[in-house]
Amino acid sequence: MTTIVEARGLTKRYRGITAVDSVDFSIARNTITGLLGRNGAGKTTLMHLLTGQEFATSGTVSVAGGNPVENPAVLQHTCFIKESQRYPDDFKPKHVFAAAPGFFPHWDSEFAHELATEFRLPLDRKIKKLSRGQLSSVGIIVGLASRAPITIFDEPYLGLDAIARQNFYDRLLADYAAHPRTIILSTHLIDEVAALLENVLVIDSGRILIDSPVDALRAHAATIAGPAEAVEKAVAGLDVIHREHLGGFVSATVAGITEQVSRAAAAAGLEVGPVSLQQLIIRQTGGAPTDHEEVSR
Amino acid sequence: MTATTMTAELLSTTPRPLLTRVGTVVRLLFANPWTAIYTPLLILGVVFLMNLAIWSIVRASIPEDGEMAASVNGGVLFLFIYMLVVAVQSVNQAFPLALGYGSTRRDFVLGFGVFAVILSIGYSALLVIASLIERATGGWGIGHSFFTTDELWQATWWEGFALSLLAFLLFFSIGAATASVYVRWKAMGMYVFWGTLVFAGIGGAALVTWLNAWPQVGEFFVWAGVLGAAAWSLIITALCALAAWLILRRATTSG
Repeated sequence: MTTIVEARGLTKRYRGITAVDSVDFSIARNTITGLLGRNGAGKTTLMHLLTGQEFATSGTVSVAGGNPVENPAVLQHTCFIKESQRYPDDFKPKHVFAAAPGFFPHWDSEFAHELATEFRLPLDRKIKKLSRGQLSSVGIIVGLASRAPITIFDEPYLGLDAIARQNFYDRLLADYAAHPRTIILSTHLIDEVAALLENVLVIDSGRILIDSPVDALRAHAATIAGPAEAVEKAVAGLDVIHREHLGGFVSATVAGITEQVSRAAAAAGLEVGPVSLQQLIIRQTGGAPTDHEEVSR
Repeated sequence: MTATTMTAELLSTTPRPLLTRVGTVVRLLFANPWTAIYTPLLILGVVFLMNLAIWSIVRASIPEDGEMAASVNGGVLFLFIYMLVVAVQSVNQAFPLALGYGSTRRDFVLGFGVFAVILSIGYSALLVIASLIERATGGWGIGHSFFTTDELWQATWWEGFALSLLAFLLFFSIGAATASVYVRWKAMGMYVFWGTLVFAGIGGAALVTWLNAWPQVGEFFVWAGVLGAAAWSLIITALCALAAWLILRRATTSG
């Protein structure tokens, strides 16, 4: 697989805070990567660095073979849709869609209009007067119709209802299948997008905690539930990342589980179940930073 | 087809031509033509018609052979201030969008420059043509001077054009430089900028007073003439344009 994004020791310090702290990672071409983390974890700063909108304090970042900062050769391939995107005051969605083709060589105007109908976006209304959800759909439409080889969404769904969000995920997946590209999606709604993601990057306090394919992440974790005593016996010596007690019963979330362990647990009459991606990431990032285990690929 | 070309080939490492990129920014700035074209033209038209109406009422109320003092009308001056505002808004509001959509800071500044030059030339030409019509029709048939400045300054058409052009360029560059301070340093930048400007203004005036140099300042303008003084403004225009570029090239869209 070709690497399309690569960061080495990438650091961004603002006065007093380190928003991105010496991160190393790479992203393979034509994959969907989820960039997950809590508010203020450094997601947005990281995406600004990837698109040359922020200047790194130290370290390097390479996108499509070059440094993105002031580099038109790289930036012609990128499309960055952010929740906080500002538009000129007197702009209407139609003005955005009229200006967009110049920035995105692969722009599909028909697709954009189709999406606008689907998201019920009024093209002729001032952007300032749009609802929060409609404003989000402007970004989503640009992001999808740009067909940019590297498309980055920074929490693009604010104010969208569940139906519109599902619509976005469906469209994203369908268009990704028809026009493969590299997509980086930062989100809080982990379970909603779990089915889309191939890889996850979890960032916390500016550091990468998890950098792993989703499948590997899921395969290595399970919950084992049953009578407390039996569960404790089954998980003895394993890495229990979470325990829930309910009366005499315990449900333990275990990382680094093997086929053998789950079979033994099942044989002992315990319930072995999958862990949702969201659960897994919350458990892994929930404690103090030093408790985190880095799941390597 | 696009899908296969996108996946099979490596992504191009040659940038698109500079002209294409700069043109994209120009198109973004003109995307809503109301901002920089329709609205100011509409206002200009309304102001002009109202002026004409008032002038003809006054004209009708005095005897046919009565004298009316001709004067210079400042009605078109709003256009220059309006373009200053257009410059401020364009830099402040279009910069984050252009950058978000993959424009470089350099392409944006160049695109804004082209945008400003196009508008400056366009409006200067409009004002000159209107002044020629005004002169040819004897002040729209009623001796009204709205676009001409003959009472103050007798100018040939190209002198009038040059003066407007220089003034528009000056206003655009001042607007761009001021807005870029805001884009880069936000409110704090504005405090420092205006504070410094006020001090520099007062300091300059104090210096001139202290040196008893006001007569020389006056002499400069007499010596340079209208067009000469306007030509000297090119220095300020160039400095503002340079400042806008130097400030924006390290500006970010966050915060």
